[in-house]
Amino acid sequence: MLSENSLDDLRAIVGDEHLMTSPEALVCYSYDGTFHESLPDAVIHPGSTEEVAAILKLCNRERIPVIPRGMASGLAAGTVPLDGGLVLNLVRLNRILEIDMDNMMATAQAGVITADFQAEVEKLGLFYPPDPSSIRHSTLGGNVACNAGGPRCLKYGITGDYVMALEVVLADGRIMRLGGKAIKNVTGYDLVSLFVGSEGTLGIVTEVTLKLVAYPEAKRTAQAVFPRLEDAAGAINAVLRGGIVPATLELMDETAINSVEDFLHLGLPRDAEAVLVIETDGDQADATRDMQVVAQICHKHGASEVRVAQTTEEGDELWRARRSISGSLGRKRPNKLGEDISVPRSAIPEMIARIKQISAKYDLPIVIFGHAGDGNLHPNILFDKRDEEEWQRVEAAVGDLFGAAVEVGGTLSGEHGVGLLKRPYLEMALGMTAVEMQKRIKQAWDPNNILNPGKIFA
Amino acid sequence: MTEEIPENTDADDANFMRTPVGKMTEIRGPCETETPFLSEEFVTDSRHASCIRCGLCLAACPVYRVTLRETDSPRGKIALLRALAENKIDPGEEFSSRYYGCLLCAACANICPSGVPLEEILQTVRDDMQRHKLEPEVLARLGQTIAQHHNISGENNTNRLIWAANMAQEPSGIQTHETADVVYFVGCVGSFFPRSYRLPQTMVQLMDKADLDYAVLGGEEWCCGYPLLINGQLDEASDLIHHNLAKVMAMHTKKVVFTCPSCLHIWNHVYPAAAGGELPFELLHATELLADMVDEGRFEFREMPARRVTYHDPCDLGRKEGIFDAPRRVLRAIPGIELIEMRDNRENSHCCGGGGNLETFDAALSQAVSTGRLTQAQEIKAQIIASACQQCERTLTDAARRNKVRIRVMDVAELVLQALDEG
Repeated sequence: MLSENSLDDLRAIVGDEHLMTSPEALVCYSYDGTFHESLPDAVIHPGSTEEVAAILKLCNRERIPVIPRGMASGLAAGTVPLDGGLVLNLVRLNRILEIDMDNMMATAQAGVITADFQAEVEKLGLFYPPDPSSIRHSTLGGNVACNAGGPRCLKYGITGDYVMALEVVLADGRIMRLGGKAIKNVTGYDLVSLFVGSEGTLGIVTEVTLKLVAYPEAKRTAQAVFPRLEDAAGAINAVLRGGIVPATLELMDETAINSVEDFLHLGLPRDAEAVLVIETDGDQADATRDMQVVAQICHKHGASEVRVAQTTEEGDELWRARRSISGSLGRKRPNKLGEDISVPRSAIPEMIARIKQISAKYDLPIVIFGHAGDGNLHPNILFDKRDEEEWQRVEAAVGDLFGAAVEVGGTLSGEHGVGLLKRPYLEMALGMTAVEMQKRIKQAWDPNNILNPGKIFA
Repeated sequence: MTEEIPENTDADDANFMRTPVGKMTEIRGPCETETPFLSEEFVTDSRHASCIRCGLCLAACPVYRVTLRETDSPRGKIALLRALAENKIDPGEEFSSRYYGCLLCAACANICPSGVPLEEILQTVRDDMQRHKLEPEVLARLGQTIAQHHNISGENNTNRLIWAANMAQEPSGIQTHETADVVYFVGCVGSFFPRSYRLPQTMVQLMDKADLDYAVLGGEEWCCGYPLLINGQLDEASDLIHHNLAKVMAMHTKKVVFTCPSCLHIWNHVYPAAAGGELPFELLHATELLADMVDEGRFEFREMPARRVTYHDPCDLGRKEGIFDAPRRVLRAIPGIELIEMRDNRENSHCCGGGGNLETFDAALSQAVSTGRLTQAQEIKAQIIASACQQCERTLTDAARRNKVRIRVMDVAELVLQALDEG
């Protein structure tokens, strides 16, 4: 519990209206995009970096846990409070501060919604490629904290590849700037990279400077239909071996197709075992030619149909379908556990076969979709958490999934982060020494363990 | 034609909507559960799709986009309802404020991939609040006004044709009719709010120009009941509904046409049950009637200057009634109009801020939402926002004035009439 004195001090920092303690408010800040929930003691909405600094200074002194949060779309329970504490909601920090055309970089506050940022830079002909499926309901700060990915990462790389500089507030309230606009920079440790993906455990990101690229002149979006899932898995590698790097190469299995079709009624092929959503981009000639090559390869590897979107709207519909898969699974069972394994792409067919075996072994539906082109798959286990026996099977299946991912040379998480959900498997993936060294880093940056305590490490 | 239409007045003609945030009439104690909250079934009964908290609704919710508070988001509202069902919170003032601080625009229901019946949930909670006498006082008063006066503004209902008083030529439809092919159901706002008189005035001129056999009900038109429906006071709307049904039935009409999408909505969804089955006439929004008249070649348009026009989909007409194409078809037929779309359009349209009685409950929040919509029109450099709802027109006009933005807000019907007349 926070003391009345601490609450008064916090109110003095942000103003009465920006500190919430009502039972109703605590309920609404007790969850993220998973099924986990746990009440905080209070919720605070700072309006500036200086306010964040003052809040952390106070919390560090009083040993109050601080759980930073944007729009809470996370899929690893990374922003769920574990033992009360103060939820630090950063969405009021939502200004784009600069778009620097000469350096092709832009600086924005942490609470800017990623899609809004993209739309602003696109008005100037620039492109910020990272595109997590939560692009309209997640923030740049959250994307940095989890090193978010997305379909386009296949060609363009992940959030971390675009972060040039950060403004962060340390656990003791000091404000620090990391990195800069110089493209080459080996002066000292690469602390920008350390912060990217640190899930709010090392400090609070308040400002981000992101690299931009030129907006591609043209794109082609296609849907390749595969009667057999195995063939789709094989086609993915064949496309990439064929010398083409599509912007995206996304996989949807039969359940994903049907689930999203139930929602959107787009005429997706319900009887296909898999669909690949493929996008090529570049100049007009490149985008068109690449798509022709991709279509030929898909046909050769068992695609029954490759349909190229004829209008922007058709392409957008396909992407809306892809982005809606995760949410649409609520139609199938009351709960879902969305995993985020990442494997070498050569191992995709093997990994898909193993997921099928695990699904059969535990008698649990596991939906497979994700960024197959870069080896990042989202097997989603569907279940009803009220069924205790079923939940135990889910937990065992998760252990097997992670085990299989590591065995084929992959890892636990490609883009969601460890948070709370993958914490038990960290050592299996990294080894004891690596975990120990990471804990020492955490200890050095946050000696009182106030920043998102209990996440990543126990 | 313009001389017969009174200038827009700045008079506060919507004074029922300018009351401060309502305080609760009474707060239920945590143990008084003798009447169940029916809405709780949506989160306790596994037959309903469950919210898996993906968060997609946050981006779609115009209220969340203004306040940036999870408590105002659809996902947050579901979490609150579940907490209520689990007796973790009471349906007190804060709970109520979250549910009445909502536009009922259904943008969340439209985007929810899990299929959570958000539209029903948001309405059923209001029904529950009303049954427990926990609705905001200001909304309870609105219910009393309608029951007593048969209109939302508390005026003498025999003044329903005041909008026609100053028209240069008396519209044929206001004369006494035994029967009529078309009954025009004007609605309370068009009938009683001077700033909205222009809409029925325009509509009757267009019907006269097209030689339609139409009639209005005058003092025999009562409030359609929609404000009561969304307040959770549908039981009190029974007299209104049966009265309106009887009066329209007596006209042996083929079509009933509405300029107000909310009137159309309740007629479409509630009236048939009250009538004991399918209605013996067609229900049409004015834009559908106009689209038919355009297709039939009943209008001859003159040359008009080039204008960039965007169409704002009213929530009750678009998302809730599925009418997206008729108004666009009419606009495309008018010479000089370049029809451009705002970022959020059709099924994904952004509420004007006037939905869900939010203006009554929290005027500042409603205004912030309308400013957000106006900004979308500015982004595409629209000169005119065309809409098909008097409420959208009023809130967006106010937003343009407040923000000193030079964008005109007009009804689709007004744009048609303007292109017919010789000035």
